[in-house]
Parts: sequence; structure tokens; C-alpha cells
Amino acid sequence: MKAEFGGYAGKILEVDLTQGRVKRTSLDPDLATKYIGGKGLGAKYLYDHLPLGCDPFGPENLLIFATGPLTGTLAPGSGRCIVSTKSPATGFWLDANCGGSFGPEMKMAGIDAIVIKGKAPSPVMLLVDDEKVQLGEADFLWRKDTFSTHRWIKDKFGEESRVACIGEAGEKRVRFASIISEMRAFGRGGAGAVMGSKNLKAIAVRGHCPITIAYPESFMKACREAFNEIAIHPDSGGGRQKYGTNTILSCMNEAGVHPVRNFQKGIFHGRSALNEEEIREFYVRNKACYGCPIYCSKISKVKEGKYKGAFVEGPEYENVWSFGAHCENADIPSIIKAEYLCDLYGLDAISTGNVIGFLMECMEKEVLEESDIGFPLEFGDNEGMIRAIHLIGRREGPALLWGEGVKRIAQEVGRGAESFAIHVKGLEMPAYDPRGSTGMALAYATSDRGACHLRSWPIGAELLSPEERIDPFSIEFKAEFVKNQQDLFTVINSSVTCLFTIFSLSLRHIVHFLHSVTGIESFASSEEILQSGERINNLVRLFNLREGLTKADDKLPQRFLTEPLKDGPARGRLVDLETLLKEYYFIRGWDEKGVPTPETLKKLMLP
Amino acid sequence: MIKTIPNLCTGCRICEIICSLAHEGSIAPKQSRIRIQSAWPEEERIHLCLACEPKPCIGGCPEGALSWDGYLRIDEEKCTGCLLCREACPYGGIQTENSKKFPFFCDTCQGEFQCVKWCPTKSIIRTK
Repeated sequence: MKAEFGGYAGKILEVDLTQGRVKRTSLDPDLATKYIGGKGLGAKYLYDHLPLGCDPFGPENLLIFATGPLTGTLAPGSGRCIVSTKSPATGFWLDANCGGSFGPEMKMAGIDAIVIKGKAPSPVMLLVDDEKVQLGEADFLWRKDTFSTHRWIKDKFGEESRVACIGEAGEKRVRFASIISEMRAFGRGGAGAVMGSKNLKAIAVRGHCPITIAYPESFMKACREAFNEIAIHPDSGGGRQKYGTNTILSCMNEAGVHPVRNFQKGIFHGRSALNEEEIREFYVRNKACYGCPIYCSKISKVKEGKYKGAFVEGPEYENVWSFGAHCENADIPSIIKAEYLCDLYGLDAISTGNVIGFLMECMEKEVLEESDIGFPLEFGDNEGMIRAIHLIGRREGPALLWGEGVKRIAQEVGRGAESFAIHVKGLEMPAYDPRGSTGMALAYATSDRGACHLRSWPIGAELLSPEERIDPFSIEFKAEFVKNQQDLFTVINSSVTCLFTIFSLSLRHIVHFLHSVTGIESFASSEEILQSGERINNLVRLFNLREGLTKADDKLPQRFLTEPLKDGPARGRLVDLETLLKEYYFIRGWDEKGVPTPETLKKLMLP
Repeated sequence: MIKTIPNLCTGCRICEIICSLAHEGSIAPKQSRIRIQSAWPEEERIHLCLACEPKPCIGGCPEGALSWDGYLRIDEEKCTGCLLCREACPYGGIQTENSKKFPFFCDTCQGEFQCVKWCPTKSIIRTK
């Protein structure tokens, strides 16, 4: 296939951990044309090969690392890699993605995707060194944190080896365990726990194969134009470079959608100590993923006090929220420490903060007592928060249950806890209160992997974009907006590049990249590319429906439907999800039960 | 002359990408004449020929295979592949790779210095 298309390596690495066998197969060119790569490739594999109703922790579950044709190229944000699997948090579809250099290195090792099945009899690591692929023993790395694991692998196989590994949380199947690559994460949905269930501690890749470009001149011209757009845009060339993802912090707080005390309020009054300027004080340098001119990453260090020595690539907006406002904690060093620990143990920092904030509300509402937790855990108590993270990371004592996530903790403790368990489909919610954004309400309810802000991010258009500002409280046009953006974001996650480029670039740029890199004629059409995004989203929907998803799962936590927001510009508001959902299904070409109609499937050439 | 400002480098490796695109026509960072050496989790280091004085690489070559004419030149007839030039360079400016027979280094992209042009943070600059 290599001779045919640029951008792709043309090979899939299939790994059967039960048999201890690896083989390289060719990437089907038709599959690439129809599903692009990344998320699309994962969706096609999972839909075709995953046995119905399989246990996410069973050997039959697949764990797929996939790049796209843009991965590793000069297209801005091309450092990302996608992992797809059946999520142990939701029991439905999961794709999570990670920046850094892991994806580009996979491509340079001559593979577009690694498809992993089975379960190794004892801990192993997968080592890919160009053509040479082997499974090595990893008993001695089991229980080691992700930093030590990286260090061991890099010392042994070379500094240029790129690593994706799990920590103790993944080994112990915490349902929100992440996979860590350098200091970045395949964060959400528990892919780390799936990796742990397979006894796969780490993957290391190193490669020397050049990535071919079909039309280099056209591609370089497209990149030059994109680099210029990024440099002059106030977000990608301004706020995001200066503050990282925290560039939106004050804005979200002032809009009253920055959830406080487990979504009880929308404005954090600890804000005097928690804004982007204060957080910036902890940044020591800028950092970028492979091939990215935006460098939104910041290395932060705590230089004094009880959390001295903690360092992160971040802290990201989401974690400043999950360990900050969500737990009503304004102490920045403790937030950095919390994110640092999440990296070490391999935990998703959004869900981890969510679990702790939820436990704090359980204490406040006297659903749980101090004897259940083992120590005081009140809102604002950052020492308790750090203690809880250690317990979750090691899954010890009461954290045997906490590692199950908010949905399952609420079911287990009962006593009304479900009324403030903030999740969709079992995935905990990120940092935007849906009562202040009808767009986010619909985005959360319809996201394929549960409560997620990266399937569609309408709040950007509602609050941050002066030229396209749409009313955050109105339900008009929201269904159409969410549907279109979901399809666009899926194109990005299949291509694969970074969502952060799309605020200064447009589909036109992505199409120019895809066509000039691959030379595939149909990739020159914006309509066809966007339809591929729609096709992938519908295939994922079919997968979820097959796994038992119904309309009742496209919902929001009870709090947002019955408890009006207490403060801020969105004070008194609730979400009218039913109307939004009805319109969304209609625009998607799904019936009233949320099932794609035969006409829709025919139009998209599915299944 | 080329100057690097290491604390501005974000480790994005766009210089490696553009260097390989310009010279090889494909993306092959490991064949790049400029290298961003990773030292995870510490800061990356920028390695390239800085056109320094007094060019210890030239003196370091026992075969007299290296010379300077606007940029470093190699006489492939004379080079024995001993790599003493690489050892002599204090800036990590001389690269090798399995697919290439001889050491290779910055040739200024015909004076265009693509790495300087594309570096998003201006951590590689030209000086007079």
C-alpha cells in the first residue's frame, strides 16, 4: 500500500498476548479511504472484531493504538495517537488520545496501528524497533510508577525510544486508569485498566522509516499557511501559548460555568488565588508535542512548601478545575501535586478529581462518615485530597470501591448519593456546567464515550468566540452545531491531528493536508471528508447500540434537570434536554429511539 | 553564524521535520542535520553545526576529508568513517545514520536555513 498512498506506513501490527505472537498485516487501502485512520480505524476494527457484550477486562477486548495519515508529518498538532477499546467505565465505545511523540514514532517504525488482543500469562512489555518486534518480560516493572518505567526503558533501549505505559492504577484495574506517555496521557475512560487487564505494562517504539508525502510542495505550502494562521490567531498564537489551556479559566469562572463543590455552584470564590496569572507563576518553561507550533504545554514545578518537588506538564485547565474548584481548593501547589500523582499512578485526572469531590459531598450530606473514608475529607481539604489520590492509585482500603468511579460508588453506598453522582454513561464530567451552556448539555448527553468535552465543544462558540457568538442559554441551532462539530472533531481524531489547531484553522486546511500528504483523490473534497466523520460517528453509534445503549443512556445527571444553578449569570437555570435531544436525533438522521435510520446508513455506506 | 537559544526550545522538532523534508523529500527526523536531543523529563538540547571558530571538526579529521566553503564539506573519497569529527564537535553538529554511509551536517539549505525559518519560538537564529 505504501506505493499507493503517502502518509500511511501501510502496515498493522497485530499482537496476540495469549499466544505470545505478533504479526504484521497490510492496511486495507479501501479501509483507509473510507475511515481515514485513528478513531475511524479503531471504530472499524472494534465494530468488526469485538465479540458482542465482551467483558472490557476480558482477554477478548481489543486495545488499538492508531495513527492517521497526518501523524508525524509537519501538519500542526500531528503528534497525537488514538487508543480505542471497550471502556470499563461505560461499557461502551472509548477512544482516548495523547500527544507527545509516541504516535509519530509508531509511524516511523513502519506501522499505522497496533491491535492488541488476549492476555499475557505474566506481565510483559511490547518492544518495537523498526521490523524487530518482541514481547519482553516485565515482572520487575510491575508496581513501578510510570516515571520509573519510562526511565528503565529509555536507559535500556535508548533515549529516543517512545513509551506508553501504565502505573499501579492500571495494573489494579481502576476504571479510570490512564496510559501515560512521557508526561502526557491517554486520559479518559479507563484504557489503562484495559492494558492492565492484559498484563501489558508498557509499549516502547523506535523507528527509522521515512514518512512519504504524496505532494511535498503543496503540503509545505499548506503548512506554511497554517503556521501563519496559528501564529496570528489570538488563541493559538496568544493566550494558549502564554497560559496553556488555563487561558480560559477566568472567562469560564466569570460566566458561572466553572463547577464548584461537585457542581453545586458555578463560580469559584477562591478565584483571587485561582486564575491564569497565578497559575502562570508556576510555569518554568514551554513544551510542545511533536510537530506543534502552539506549545500549549507548560512545565510547572513546586519549588517550596509541603508539596515541593512536584512537577507536571501542565497543570491543565481541566485538572486545575477537578482538583481546584470542584473540591473547593484554591491551593495551586496541591493541584500540581495532585496531577503529578495522577501521572505517576496512571490515573485520569478529570475522573480522579471528580471521585474525590463526590466523596466530599457524600461527607457533607452525611451519606458517608469519616469512618468510611478513614480520615476527614471535607471540601477545601487539600491534604485529604492528596491522601485520597494515593489510596486510589494503589487501590487500597476504601479505594477498592473508589477505583470503580462515581457511578458505581453511588450505586454501592446508596442513601440518595445517586442524585449527586455526576457522570454520563459512567464517565465523570469535565469542567463546564451544562446549566450555563445548552450546547455542552447536548454535547455531554450525546458523546459516544460518556461525559466529554472533546466530542464537541460548543461552549467555545457560546462564550469565547466574538465573531460566532451564539446564546449559551438558547436551544436554537444547538443540535445542528453539536452534530456538525462532532463530525469535524472525529475527522481531526481520525487524521490524526490536535483539536487545538481547529480554533485557528478550518476544515479547508485539514482537507489540504490530507490530500497533499496522501494523494487520495477523495480526500480533496471537504464534503467527502466531513461525511467520513459522520460515517465514523454513526459506526460508533451502531457499536454502542449493539452493546446495549438506549435513548435512556443519552442523559444528564439528575442535578442538572432538577436543581437550578445557585449563582452567576446562569442562576436559576435547568436543562431542557428532551427538546435538544429530539432535534439532535432528527438532524443526525436517527429515529426517535436514537437509532440510525436505514436511509442514513445507506447514505453513509454503512455498516 | 547560527545561534541557538536553548531555553526557548519547546522540543517540537519542527526543525528536524523541515530539515528532512528539505533534504530527503520525506519526513525522517532521524536523517535530519539538526537534532533535538531528548533527555526526558529534562529540557531538550539543540544539536547542529553552528559554523563555529576554529572548527575543531576539520582539525580533528585524520584524513583531511573535511573543509569549509560557506559550510562544511566532506570529501567522500577520503572519509574512512572513523567519526573522530563527531567526537571533536562540541555542539553535536555532525550526524550519522544507518542508511547513510558518511557523516552529514548542515549545508545551510542554500543559505535559506529552513530550520531558522520554521522554528516557532525563534530558538535558532542567524547572526552576522
